[in-house]
This record gives sequence, structure tokens and C-alpha cells, in this order.
Amino acid sequence: MRALALALALGVAPTALSAQASDSLFVTAVRAYKNLEFDLAAWTLRRELARLNTVGAPTAARAQGLVYLGAAELFRGRRDSAAAVFRRLVMLDPRYRPDRLVFPPEVTGLFDGVRLETKVVAIDVPRDTTITPGPGAFGIWIIASSFQTIDVALRYEDGAPFRSLYVGPIGDSINLQWDGLDAAGAMPPVSRVLLRVASRGASGALAGIVQLPLDLRQVRPDTLPWPAPPADSQFLPERENSGTARRALLGGVALSGAVAVLPALVGGTDTPSGPRIAVASTIGVAGLLGFVLHRPGRPLAANVRANQALRDTWQRRVEITTAENARRRQNVRLLVRAGEAAAIQPRGP
Amino acid sequence: MRSALVLLAALAAGEVRAQALHPVGGASLVTARVRSQVPSGVDQFTGSAFLGQGALALGRVELSVSYLQGTLNPDGGTAAARDLVEGTARLGVRALDWLTLETGPHARAYTLTGGTQRWLFWELRARAARAFIGSSVRGYAELWRAISADANVPEPFDHAQGGEVGMVVRLARAPVTARIGYRIDHAVLGGGTRKETVDGVVIGVGLSWR
Repeated sequence: MRALALALALGVAPTALSAQASDSLFVTAVRAYKNLEFDLAAWTLRRELARLNTVGAPTAARAQGLVYLGAAELFRGRRDSAAAVFRRLVMLDPRYRPDRLVFPPEVTGLFDGVRLETKVVAIDVPRDTTITPGPGAFGIWIIASSFQTIDVALRYEDGAPFRSLYVGPIGDSINLQWDGLDAAGAMPPVSRVLLRVASRGASGALAGIVQLPLDLRQVRPDTLPWPAPPADSQFLPERENSGTARRALLGGVALSGAVAVLPALVGGTDTPSGPRIAVASTIGVAGLLGFVLHRPGRPLAANVRANQALRDTWQRRVEITTAENARRRQNVRLLVRAGEAAAIQPRGP
Repeated sequence: MRSALVLLAALAAGEVRAQALHPVGGASLVTARVRSQVPSGVDQFTGSAFLGQGALALGRVELSVSYLQGTLNPDGGTAAARDLVEGTARLGVRALDWLTLETGPHARAYTLTGGTQRWLFWELRARAARAFIGSSVRGYAELWRAISADANVPEPFDHAQGGEVGMVVRLARAPVTARIGYRIDHAVLGGGTRKETVDGVVIGVGLSWR
């Protein structure tokens, strides 16, 4: 009675108890359990579990409270309540097993019986990962409470099937992999799918569904910009312009004339004209020849080759860039971000 | 003479830097004709001569030398043949890409039976050169005027000037050049009582390392 009074006193204490006070409450409950004061232990544990659920305590802490509560209820003679508590425990953590050094066979036996009857799974996936669709794989670890048949599938948000991953039995756990593609082998056309695991009992009846949202994002590497084409200023003229031919003609005429008038210019007018005419004619013919060779519009083969080399170089750079961009476009990665799993209870008949 | 050197030095100022030397050399055949008009008559000689030329350019500054030697035969008459020897040394500066100003001595000697007739001109020369057929054919024109002269002839020196016009063909990618030109110089002495005219055609090949 004294312990019950203490527990009551603790129960009416302000809710803003410190963590140390909460630990003390759980410790008090366990002490009561060990002192065979199961009423006090059950009462204290229910209050503690309510608080843990409210604050979103870790699964391990809640599981520890539930197993002591189930054991206390069993020893209070409330087997159904104990089974219900253990069912809650199995659904909370299908992997949980009571410590057989702490709890007697009556407790563990009841728990095992409940666990075998309860068909539930837990889903363990990486919270945030990136895979290469196709060769890559998104790992899914499914842990079962007991032997059952499961149907693992990815679904659109509206529930329509997206990709079936596994249908079959599961004993303890199973590792599945999703290659990041839909049923047709294409990239997911949506940004969110649901990973749904339906559990079925031995009769085939739907026992429960666990669903987990997966946010998808396609990550494409940036492509390279196209190399700029050569500027017009880089190209050489491919045809002779009129200036070169004109310069040859006028230069020839001017030099020929200079040869002809040179004696008059320096004062030696009484010189024979033969040699001068020969030189002037040679230069004049050369100028005329230059005009013909550099006539306007004549293709300049060297410049044409140089320009073609410039274009070829640019074309090669374009081809390299095209190949690199094609490689980058194929290198799409899928970012998968998992949400919180939620259990969906099947509707009764 | 001194003022010409000062002018060249001024144009070349700032150009003496660590630049590559560009040597140029050439050999030509000159068909020379000398016409000497004196009060007693006109002597005229023609012949062929060998002309060797070389130049060394450093930036805009250029030093050039030439040597010509040949034998001239009289055109008619009974005069004896005479040997012609001529040499020049000029220091020049490229004032513009196409214009070079030069100055220096120009010596000429005729070997006569009675002795050697020597002429020495100090010239101021302008040379313009520019490609006119593509980049392989360059035309050039030179004009010079003697700013002083000395000759062992009785008449006092009056004035002298000359020039040369021609073209140089550079063979594709090779340092070899071919040249054809016409040159003439004309000296007047004694107020016109003596006139010396030397002209000829120059045909030659050369090497130019650029």
C-alpha cells in the first residue's frame, strides 16, 4: 500500500517531471514488479507508456515498458490483457524477444504464442540513398514477426500498382532489392511511390499492411555547352580579292614607268633605251602575270585548307562534346528518400 | 656628311635592342656602260662586271657593302679598255617599313694606261621597297645624291645623283632571291663641261635569311 501511495503521489505530480523522474517512474514500476506488487507495477507502467507514446519515445523504451506490463498483467491473472499488450509489442517491434533470463517461461511462452498468431512485418530501408537505375539496387529488409506470406509492392500514391517486388513466404526476414525502374523497365514517372507490404496469415486472410513512402528524384549531371564555332575573323579569305591583282598590275606599271623615267630623273638623258626597256618590260610582264595569277575570285588553296582544318577541329570538338553529353545523359541517378512507415489495419468483414 | 649621320642616328635611336641579325648576300652580273662627255669629245665604254653585295640588319639599322669589278671596252674608236672597280659602304636605318635611308662612301676607280682615275662620293640615299605581287615579288626604287665628292680629274665637282629600280623575286619558302634592275648615276663637273654617266642592267641571285 505504501508503494501504491507513492505511485499515486508520483502520478499526481506535475507532468513536467524531468527525465530523471520518468526513469524513476519506470524503475519504480520494475521494482514493484520484482516485489510482486503487480497492481502497482501495471498501473505505473500504463502511466509511463502513455507518457512515452505522447513524447514519441524510442521503440526500445516503449517495448521495454510493454513487456513488463504484459508480464504484470499475466501475473495479475489477466491473460487476455497480457496477450493484448504483447500483441501491441509485436506490432511495435516484430523483432523483439523477451529476455528469457529476466522473464519466466509463462511470460515468454505467452509472448511466443501471441507472436506466432500476430502477422506483422517491419520495413528497414536506408533513409536517404542514391542508386543508378538498372544496375544499382535499393535494398529493402523486411523483418517478420512470424512465418507468414507477404506481398511486397511499390504503388503510386493513389494505390495503383507500380512495381511488384515479392510475393511469397517469409520466415524471419528477407532482403529485397529494387532496381529503381518501373514494371516496364523505365525510369519512374512520378516523384513519390509507396512501398507497401501486405501480410497474410495461414488462411490467406489479410492480416496487416505496412506502408512506407519513398520520395524519388532523378539526378542528371549537367551537360557540357557546345563549343563555340570559329569566329569569322579566324577564317582566311578563300578567294582572291581584287586588291592583290590591282596591286600587282599597278605596281608593275609604276615600276616600269620608274625604270623608263629614271635617266631623266637623274639627268642622264643621253643613254640608250634598250636595256631600260628590257628591264621595264620584264617588270611590266611580271606585274601582268601577277594580275593574272591573283585575279579576283581565284581560289586560294592554302587558305581553303587552313579554313577546313579550322572547321574540322571545331567539328571534332563538337563530336567529343556530343559523346560526353550522351554519356552524361545516360548516367541518371535516382535519389530515394524514405519516409516513416505506417501500419494500416485491414477492415473487418 | 655629319648632319646625315646625325639624322640616321636619330632615326635609329631606341632600336638597338637584343634583336636577331639578318644577313643578306647576293651576286649579280652587271652590264655596265660608261659615257664620259668632255669638251674634247665623248668616250663611251661598255662591258660586264661582277657585283657582290652583302648587308647585315639589326632591327631597323642596316649596314651594307658592295663591290663591283669588270672590264669596259670602248664603243668604237681606238681607246684602250679600262678596268672598273667600285665599292660602297653604307649605314642605313629603316625609317618606315618600306623606306630606308642610307649614307656612306661610294668609291669608283678606272684603271687607265696612264694611271688610275678615282672618284669618291659621299651619298645620301633613299630606298623604297614593297611587295607588289603577293608576298614573293618586291619592287624597289632607290635615289641617291652626292653630298660631297672628290675626283682626280681637272674639273671641279658640281653635283652627282643616281638611282636604281628593279624587282626581287623570292622563291617559295627558300632563302634564295632573284633580282633584276636598272641603275644609273650621273655626275656633272666643271659647270657641265664634264659629264660622267654610268648605267646598266643588274641581274643576280641572292640569299636572304629572315
